[in-house]
Formats: sequence, structure tokens, C-alpha cells
Amino acid sequence: MAKMNMKSILGLVLTGSLAISLTACGSNSNNGGNSEASNNAGATNAATEKPASNEKITITFQNIYPDPTDPKHNMMKKIVDQYQSEHPNVKIELDSLNTDQQKQKLKTQAASKEVPDITIVNPAAQMQPYVDAGLFAPLNDMVEQNGLKDTFQDGVLDFYTFDNNLYALPDGNNIGVVYYNKELFEQAGITKTPETFEEMVEDVKTLKAKGIQPMAIGEKDTWTGSFLFMNVLLRTNGGPGFLSDVVAGKKTFEDPAFVEAVDAMQNLIQAGAFQEGVTSFDYNAGENLFKTGKAAMYYMGSWATGGIETSEAVKGKVGVFKFPTVNGKGDANQFMLAPGSAFAISADSKHLQETKDFLNYFMLNFPKEAFAVKGAVGLAQKVDGDFKAAGYSDMAINVLDLFKEVKGGDLAFDNTMNPGTAQGHLTSIQNIFVQKKDSAEVAKEHQTAYESNK
Amino acid sequence: MNVLKVSKLTIALFVLPCLLLYVCLVFVPIIVSLYTSLIDWNGIGESKFIGLENFKDLLFHDKVFWPAVRHTLMFAVFSMLEIPIALFVAILLSRFVKKPNFLVSSYFMPVILSVVIIGQLWKTIYNPASMGGMLNQVLEWVGLGSLQQQWLTDPDIAMYSLYFVALWQYLGYHTLIQFTGIQNIPSDIYEAAKIDGAEGLKADWHITLPMNVPIFKISIVLAFIGSLQSFDMIMVMTGGGPGNATDVIATHMYRMSILSMKYGYGSAIAAILVVVCLVATVVINYGFNRLERKYT
Repeated sequence: MAKMNMKSILGLVLTGSLAISLTACGSNSNNGGNSEASNNAGATNAATEKPASNEKITITFQNIYPDPTDPKHNMMKKIVDQYQSEHPNVKIELDSLNTDQQKQKLKTQAASKEVPDITIVNPAAQMQPYVDAGLFAPLNDMVEQNGLKDTFQDGVLDFYTFDNNLYALPDGNNIGVVYYNKELFEQAGITKTPETFEEMVEDVKTLKAKGIQPMAIGEKDTWTGSFLFMNVLLRTNGGPGFLSDVVAGKKTFEDPAFVEAVDAMQNLIQAGAFQEGVTSFDYNAGENLFKTGKAAMYYMGSWATGGIETSEAVKGKVGVFKFPTVNGKGDANQFMLAPGSAFAISADSKHLQETKDFLNYFMLNFPKEAFAVKGAVGLAQKVDGDFKAAGYSDMAINVLDLFKEVKGGDLAFDNTMNPGTAQGHLTSIQNIFVQKKDSAEVAKEHQTAYESNK
Repeated sequence: MNVLKVSKLTIALFVLPCLLLYVCLVFVPIIVSLYTSLIDWNGIGESKFIGLENFKDLLFHDKVFWPAVRHTLMFAVFSMLEIPIALFVAILLSRFVKKPNFLVSSYFMPVILSVVIIGQLWKTIYNPASMGGMLNQVLEWVGLGSLQQQWLTDPDIAMYSLYFVALWQYLGYHTLIQFTGIQNIPSDIYEAAKIDGAEGLKADWHITLPMNVPIFKISIVLAFIGSLQSFDMIMVMTGGGPGNATDVIATHMYRMSILSMKYGYGSAIAAILVVVCLVATVVINYGFNRLERKYT
């Protein structure tokens, strides 16, 4: 009898634990098949839960300003505190991560449909998969209700709009420029900044002959070299739109413009422009070479301005110029455009209305506060205020002047192409930094990567 | 014959929680990832069942995969070749050093350090001379300037530079394991051998080596599995670059599933990695079982 009891207990335990393990593991298997159902469930939940105005609610705000020494971090805290004191029932929980961590965390959260109320995404092709999966709430009504939309620069919101629905609000809008160290240029006897790519290669040789490191780049991170390369391509193609033409089937990567760009890039590399061991330098290490005055030129998005102007070693010695024309092609007023990372709201947010309200408040205050902490170069919004009077450096004002001359341009490779092709491109370009290759072969590699990831 | 005087059911009941936990944490994820390897999924949106398509692409069309497998297996071979050296060091330590503990712990030091620190350390050592790279500078000072290399950025050399760092880091680890094994061999055996006229390295050849076979096996298996899974050090030092010159199976998997957002494809790579690990473990076990039977 005792044995019988034992058996039935065991049976019970076994079935129970089996059920538990099944459900536990079940939530782990994320095939998209039943995602639609759970999505709907989330939506109805949100709808039935009409929050009263004094109900205590918590909004999770995932962001990429984790560094307390970064002015943007404190600025964010300030706006959040302001909002909380005006809305005592709302608690904003900050989830501050650095860029790479955030990207991976969001991917994991997206896979299990647990996107935080507010999160960070990158423009165009990079946010497309999330939008396609229906993870974000459209923000059209929110930006129009009180004129928030008009604070943004013309056209910048297009990169975050899909099928006429706006899904995210950018914190920045940058362009690719060449920073140069005036003192090192002087030492090498270079009197004016290069206006053609050929002059630039000559300058590289002159600097090299004087024992000065001509250019710095952190090519371990691969997107850095790609960003520079895409600017060359923007010139050899005679204007923007090469990648879109490829996607539309009008061109292939084996197009002469692309091969010419690879050729030009290889000329620059073979002239000894970049530091030795370039592919083992990450982004920060590469930028540090320039910031410590050890390299004469540095091609980067204008977001680098703040870091460069606060570096003691090169303070007051740095100027900027537009990326030159290549083989007489292209227009120097067309830039690599880098619309920044952007705030998006989860479609499944339990407090959708409050979250929208907060983000609206946050973005309305963003330009004013950023201007106050000298972080207003390269914002996506219009800024009122006298930069010079506020103590912005000459270099910062130079950069701001360049913004006024922008006549269109291209987005970075991974903002235009799907992730698989982008990876192929990034490794292929990294490779030409360490070994000379046949440019036609590089083009072919790209085409193969594109076709196998279509 | 109920030796334990407990019913089998009770035993089963007590083992159950652990078993369940193990199944849930180890086998279920493996099975889930096997399933994922059969679908075309970007990790976020809709997925599509495509059968063995991922494996077909991986095995026959992927230009990075086979070199990555080669790098991984070479890694394993080098790590295993290191074990005899570790054993030799351990023998020397136990035979010729009076108080070997200090030396053993010193050799063990690199194992305690985080891989990220090791990676950064060796990155600066491998840097070009113009960037203050120690190795190249030393070569220049001793007049071997012609041997200077772009250790981490020359695609032909980079992989070997990485192997070396891993070997350097784990030499102390395996020396410690072997050393402990040797300490456990009873000293009367050596005394008896001494009477029979076998002393020093001769005694080691006939006593230490055979008696240490089980410990040797542990080291080999650890080295093999460890190098198949190598990922962190490579990510820190080269990120798989330049190009794909230092990609191993694990970094390729990361690149595919996380960066290229092809989770199904990444899972296919993972599945193959699991199979390789299992097969290798079985083969190594089989080999050593024969060896052990011969000597014990």
C-alpha cells in the first residue's frame, strides 16, 4: 500500500514537473508563428487597462547615455526629474546601457516580445525588421498634437518613417567630415586643405615624409572604414543613391563607379595614410590617436566634435573640411548623412498614452537642455540660441557652418542594406586595409554577399 | 539484494529535481536550437521552416565556415600539444624544485586574469614598433629587425599570434593539473624503483607517465573543448579580422546570428559545433580507455 502511494505521488510529481518544464521552456522557443496572437493579447490588455490619472505607473526608459561624465547623461536625468516632479504618479525607470549592449539587449527583448516602453533604434534599414514585426507604436499623433514635429529639421524624420507612419524620434543628425590638426599641417608645410582626393593623397605622402602620421582610424570596428569608403563612393557615383539603385536592380556592385571607389580607397591606404596595425585599433583607440595630436587627419561623423574639442592636447588646433571630390567627380557639398539613434515606443507598452506624453515632453526640452551643456552640435532638432555667445569653440561653429551647406547625401551602408550584406561589406572593406586586392574582386565579393542575402 | 535499503522510487524521486533542472538547462536549449537551425529567422519577425537549407548553405556555399573550422581544429591541436609540455614542466617541478608551490602558483597567474585583460595586454605587446609594441621593439634591439611582423593584422600570421596567447595563458593551468596528479603518486613506488635501479627521468618514464594517464586525459579533454569554444579572446584582440582571417566557429556563429541577424543560420553553426564537441569527446575517451587498460 505504501508502495502504491509512493507510485502515485511520483506520478503526480512527474506530470507536474513535466508541465512546468514544458511551459517554462515553451516561452523560450521564439518562432514567429504565434507571435501575432501574443501581440494581440498584449494590445487588448493595454486597452482594457484604462489607467486613472492618479494611478502610480512606471515607464521603462532604455537609453544609451550610461556615462555620468557625458553631458547627455546629466541632461537626460534633469529632464526626467523635471517630468517626475510635474507628474508625481509617474516613475521613469532608466535602463542606461552602452551602445553595443543596448543593441543586443533589444534584440533579445524583441525576440521574446518584451520591448521596454521606450527604447533606442537606428534609422532606416536597421530598424526595419522591428517595424515589420510590429513592435513599435506609430507616433504621428504625438508629434503633431503640440508642434513637436516642427522642431525637427526638414526631412530628418523621413529616415524613421515607414508607410507614412513615424516610429521613432532621433536625438541627432550628423554628417561625415574630415577633422585636421592645423599644427601638424603647418609642420609639414601644407598651407591649404585638400579640395580633391588626389591632393589629399599627396598631402598624405607629404605628411608621411615628415614622419607625421597622416590619418587615424579605428578599423577593428569595421564600420569606421566603411563610413569613409561610402563617402568615396558618394563622389565616384556622381551623387547619392548608389545602394538604392542596387536594391532597385538598376545597378550591381560591379558597376564602374563602385570599382573606381575601391581603387581610390586602395590608393589612399597604399599611400600609407593609416597607422600601422590599423585593424586592431577599436573606435576609441583610433580616435585617441587624433585627439592626442598624434595624427594629422581624422574622418568621422560630426558627433566626434564634442570629444575632440574637450581634448587638451589638440584644443584650438583642429579645423574641419569637407570630404574632397574624387577624380573630379561628385559634389563636396554632398555629405555622408548620419541621422542618429532614435527613441521608439513599444507597441505593447502598458501605459502607451503616458509614455507618449513623456517622450513628447522629453523631446520638446531636448534641444534647449543640450544647448546649455554644449551638446547641441549635430542635433536633429532646430536650436535657438547664439552658439558663439554661449561659448562654443571655433571648431564647433565651423562644423555648424558645414551643416548649412549640406545638399543631400547618402546614409551609411548598414542603414541602407540588410544586415547580412552589410557584414559581408564590412569584412571585405576591412580586408583592403591590410592587403592590396584587385578592386574588381572586391566588387565581386560585394555582389556575392548581396545576392546570397537578398 | 537491496544494498542501500532504499527503494528505487525514492532514489528516483530525489534525483528528479536535479535531473529536471539539467534537462531544462542543457537538453531543451540544445533541442530548441536544433529546431531553430531548420528555420529562416531574423530573430525578431516571422520565421519560415526551410528544412536543411541552412546546413546546405553552410557546408557547401559558405566561404568563411571551412576556414573557421580549420582555425578551430588547429587551435585544438595546438592546445593538446601543449599538454605534454605542461606534464614535462610538472615533472621537472616535482623532481628538481624543493618548494615548488610558489612556482606553480606563479605559472597559474594568467589563468586568474580576465581574458579581456590578457587580450589588451597582448594587443599592446603585438602592436607595431611605431605604436610602442614590445615584441617588435625587442626584436629590433637584439638585431632581429627583419623578423618584425604585423602580428595581429597580417592575415597569414594573426591566427598563430592568437594561438600563442591562449597557450601562454593555459600552460599554468595544465601544469597545475599535471602537478597535482604527480603529487598523488605514492612515493613508495619510486623507492621500490630506486632499489631496482630506476632513478630520475627513467623512473618518470616507467612510473609517472603511465600512472598519470587519467589526469593527462582530463587535461586533453579540457584543452580540446576549451579551444573549440574559444571566442572571448579572439573578439577582444582581432574581432575575427582582418577580413575573416581569424574567425573560428564561435565567432562566425556570433557574426551570423547577432550581427547579420540570421538566427537560423547561426543555430545551424551551433548545431555543428555541438556535434563536433560530442564526437571529439567520444573519440578521446575511446583512445584513452585503451591506453588506460594497457597501463593499469
